[in-house]
Amino acid sequence: MDNKLKEKNSFLSSFFEKSKQNFIIVAALVVLVFLFYFLNPNFLNEYNIISMAQSLAPYAIMGLGVTFAIATGGIDLSIGTVCIASSVVAGKLFTEGIIPLWGTVPVMIAIGGLFGLINGLLISKLKLPAFIATLGTMMVSRGLSAIIVNAPNVFYPTGTAFNKIFSNYNGFPSGIIWVGVFMIVCMYLMYKNKVGRYILSIGSNEEATRLSGINTDKYKIVAYVLTGLGAGLAAIFWSSSFVTVASATGNGMELDAIAGVYIGGTSAAGGVASVGGSVIGAAMLVVIRSGLNFVLAKYNVSVNSTYVTYVLTGVIVVFSVLIDILKNKKKK
Amino acid sequence: MSKTILKMTDIAKSFSGVQALKNAALELRAGEVHALMGENGAGKSTLMKILTGIHSKDSGEIELFGEKVEFQNVKESQEKGIAIIHQELNMMKDLTVAQNIFIGREPMALGVFIDDRKMEKEAKKLLDYVGVNISPSTRLGNLTVGKQQMVEIAKAISHNSKLLILDEPTAALTSVEVDELFRIMNELKAKGIGMIYISHRMDEIRRISDRVTVMRDGEYIGTINTAETNTEEIVKMMVGRVVYGENKEKSTCPEGSPVVLEVNNLNVGDSVKNVSFKLRKGEILGFSGLMGAGRTEVARAIFGADKKDSGEIKVNGNLTEINSPREAVKNGICYISEDRKRFGLLLDKSVAENSVLASVDSFVKLGFIDDGEARKTAEEVNKKLRTKTPSMSQKVRNLSGGNQQKVVVARWLIKNSDIFIFDEPTRGIDIGAKSEMYALMDDLVKNGKSIIMISSELAEIQRVSDRVIVMCEGRITGELPIEKATQENIMNYAMMR
Repeated sequence: MDNKLKEKNSFLSSFFEKSKQNFIIVAALVVLVFLFYFLNPNFLNEYNIISMAQSLAPYAIMGLGVTFAIATGGIDLSIGTVCIASSVVAGKLFTEGIIPLWGTVPVMIAIGGLFGLINGLLISKLKLPAFIATLGTMMVSRGLSAIIVNAPNVFYPTGTAFNKIFSNYNGFPSGIIWVGVFMIVCMYLMYKNKVGRYILSIGSNEEATRLSGINTDKYKIVAYVLTGLGAGLAAIFWSSSFVTVASATGNGMELDAIAGVYIGGTSAAGGVASVGGSVIGAAMLVVIRSGLNFVLAKYNVSVNSTYVTYVLTGVIVVFSVLIDILKNKKKK
Repeated sequence: MSKTILKMTDIAKSFSGVQALKNAALELRAGEVHALMGENGAGKSTLMKILTGIHSKDSGEIELFGEKVEFQNVKESQEKGIAIIHQELNMMKDLTVAQNIFIGREPMALGVFIDDRKMEKEAKKLLDYVGVNISPSTRLGNLTVGKQQMVEIAKAISHNSKLLILDEPTAALTSVEVDELFRIMNELKAKGIGMIYISHRMDEIRRISDRVTVMRDGEYIGTINTAETNTEEIVKMMVGRVVYGENKEKSTCPEGSPVVLEVNNLNVGDSVKNVSFKLRKGEILGFSGLMGAGRTEVARAIFGADKKDSGEIKVNGNLTEINSPREAVKNGICYISEDRKRFGLLLDKSVAENSVLASVDSFVKLGFIDDGEARKTAEEVNKKLRTKTPSMSQKVRNLSGGNQQKVVVARWLIKNSDIFIFDEPTRGIDIGAKSEMYALMDDLVKNGKSIIMISSELAEIQRVSDRVIVMCEGRITGELPIEKATQENIMNYAMMR
C-alpha cells in the first residue's frame, strides 16, 4: 500500500515536473487567446470554442503519436497521409457494406499501426534515414488509398453514436476527453514505462543504449508503431467530424502536427520529449488558425487566412525552437 | 640559448565566479618543444585559449616576439603566427588534402575559378617542407588519423606560424605514427619554430620535450629541463602525490580459480585472427599491444557489438551464443569503452538515469518505473564508487572524465555483471583519478568479478594485471604471468610480426 502510494506520487510529481516545463508555452497560449479575444471578442463565442475543441482532436492525437518518433531522434512525415488513407479505406469498406460503422475503428487503427510498423522496419532493420523512409510511405499511402477507394470522396454518416462519442456529444466536444485520455496514456508510456525510457535513451545516444544491452531496433520499431497508431486514431476523430473525406485532403496535416510537437518543447534532435507540450502545441495551432479568421474578418483584411496562418505558425516554430537553443546555451 | 618568443605572466581568468587561472605563466623559446602538463582541470586548455584569443584574460601580460599582445579572436592570433593543432581534428573529410590546407584562401584563376593545379602544387611544396609523403589530391578521409594530423601541421605552417600548440596530438596515433610526428617536430624545431606540447604521456614528454611547465589548480607550479628530471618528480609537481603505485609482483587471483570466460578461435575480418584465451574468476587479464593490434575488436566481438566470423565463447563452461550486446549482458558480460561519450553515456541525461540504464527492468513495479528506488540504488552505488557529483540529477555531461567513467561502472555494478571488459579505462582521465580507477578494479576482483583490461600504457598493465596477453596484428603473440611482464618482454611480443 505504502509502495503503491509512492509510485502514484512519483508519477504525479513527474507529471508536474513536465508541467513546469510546459508553463511557458501554456502562458503563450493564454496570451494568444486573450490577444485574439481583445482584437475580436467574437472569437470566444460558444460556438467557436466548441468548434476549436472539436478540431483539436485529430491534430493533438497525431502529435502525441509522432512525439515518440521524434523522441528517438527521427521523424515521421507519413502521418498525415496515413491518417487520410486510414479514414478513406475504412470509409470505403463501410459504404460498400463490408464492415459496420463501428468496424471502421479497428480498421483505421490497424492501417495506422501497419504503416508505423513498415516505417519502423525500414528505419531500424534496413537503416534508412527516417526522413527518406517516411517520405516514401507518405507517397505510397496517399497513392495506394486513392487507388483502393477509386473515388474522390468517401462518406461518413452524421448524428450517429459514432459522431457523438468521438466528435460532438449534443454540443459537447467529446474529442477533448479522448485527447486527455491519450495524453495520460502517452505520459505513462513516455515517462513511466520502459518503452519511453528506452526511446528517450535512443534519442540521446543510440549506440550507448545498444551497448547497454537494450534491443534498440525493437524500441525504434515500437516508437514508429506508436506514431502510426496515433495517425490511425487521429483518423477516427477526423472521420467522425466530417461528412465527406476526400483522398486528396489532409495535405500538410503532418507538418501541422509536427510543428505542434516542436512548439511543445520536444527536441528535434531526440532524447527530450514533452508529451503535454505536444497537445498544447496542437492547441496553439488550432487557436491561431481560428483566431486569424476572426481578426481578418473583423478588420476586413482581404487575404486568405490560411496563408497568414502559415506565416504565423512558421514564425512561432522557429522562435520556440530558438528560445530552446538559447536556453540550453545559457545553461552551459 | 635561443631567444624567448612567448612570455605569459601572471595570467588570471575566472568564469562566472570560478577562478580558472591565477598566476599562470609560460615561457617559450624559438626552436623549443615545451611540454605543458597538469591534471585535467589544471587550466592548460584555458591558458591556451587565452593565448589564441578564444577567451580574454582578466589580468596578466602576454609578450609575443617581444611585443605586448592581447588577441580578441582566433584570427588575430593566427595572423601573429600562432597555430593550434587540436586533439580532435578540425578538417573536412570529404575534401582533398590541398583543399583542406587552402580552405578559405583558395588561389583563384581569372578571379572566379579555383585554381586547383596551383593549389595542389603549393600544397605539395608545404607537405615536402614538413617532410611527409602524401599526395595533395587524396581525399582527406582516406588518410589515417596520423597522416591527417600531419596535413593539419602543414596547414599551420602555411599560415607562417612560428608558434605551434599541439593539444594531445598522439592520443589517436599508432606508435609508428608517433615516431613520424616526432621526426617532423624535430624538423620544425630546427627551423626555429616553438612548440607547446600538451600531453599526459610521460614517455613521450621525455622523448620530445626540452622543458616542462607544470600547472596545478590554475596556477603555475614550475618549469624544469626535461633532461634533468624524472617522471616521479613531474608527477609529484602535478598532484603532490605518487600515482601508479608499485607494479604488481604476483598474481592476486586465487590458484585453481574456475574459468568464467573461454574464447576459442575467434575471427573477425582482418582484425582478429584465431584468438583463444581463458579468463578466471577474480582475475585481471591485461591485453597489451600497439594501437591497431585488434584488442578492441576482440572485446567488441565477445560483447556482441560487432559480428564475429567464427569462434566460440563459453561463459562459466557453457557454450554461449552471443550475437548482440543484449545477449552478452544477459550472460553477465559488460564492455566499458574508451570512448565514453560516444559509446557509454547519455550525456544530457542525469547520473541516476545513466546509472540504471541497463537495469530499468528491475525497477518496474506494477507497470511503473520506480524512479525513487532507481535513484536510491544509483546513489548507493555511486557513493561506493566515490563518484563526485553534486546530485543524482546532475547531467553526466558536467562531470569530469574520471567521474563519468565511474557512472558507467556503476551501471554494470547495478546490473550485477560478472565479467568486466575495460577498454583503456583511464584514457582522458587525470592522473589523480587513475589511481582511484586502479583501486576500483582491485576491489571488483576482490568481490569475485573478473576483468579484461585493454591498455596501451605499459605502466598501467604492470600495475593492474594478474596475467598479460599481448596482441599484434590481430593475433595473440604472447602470454606472460605478471612476474615476467617486463616492458621489454611485452614490447617484444607486441612487435612480433
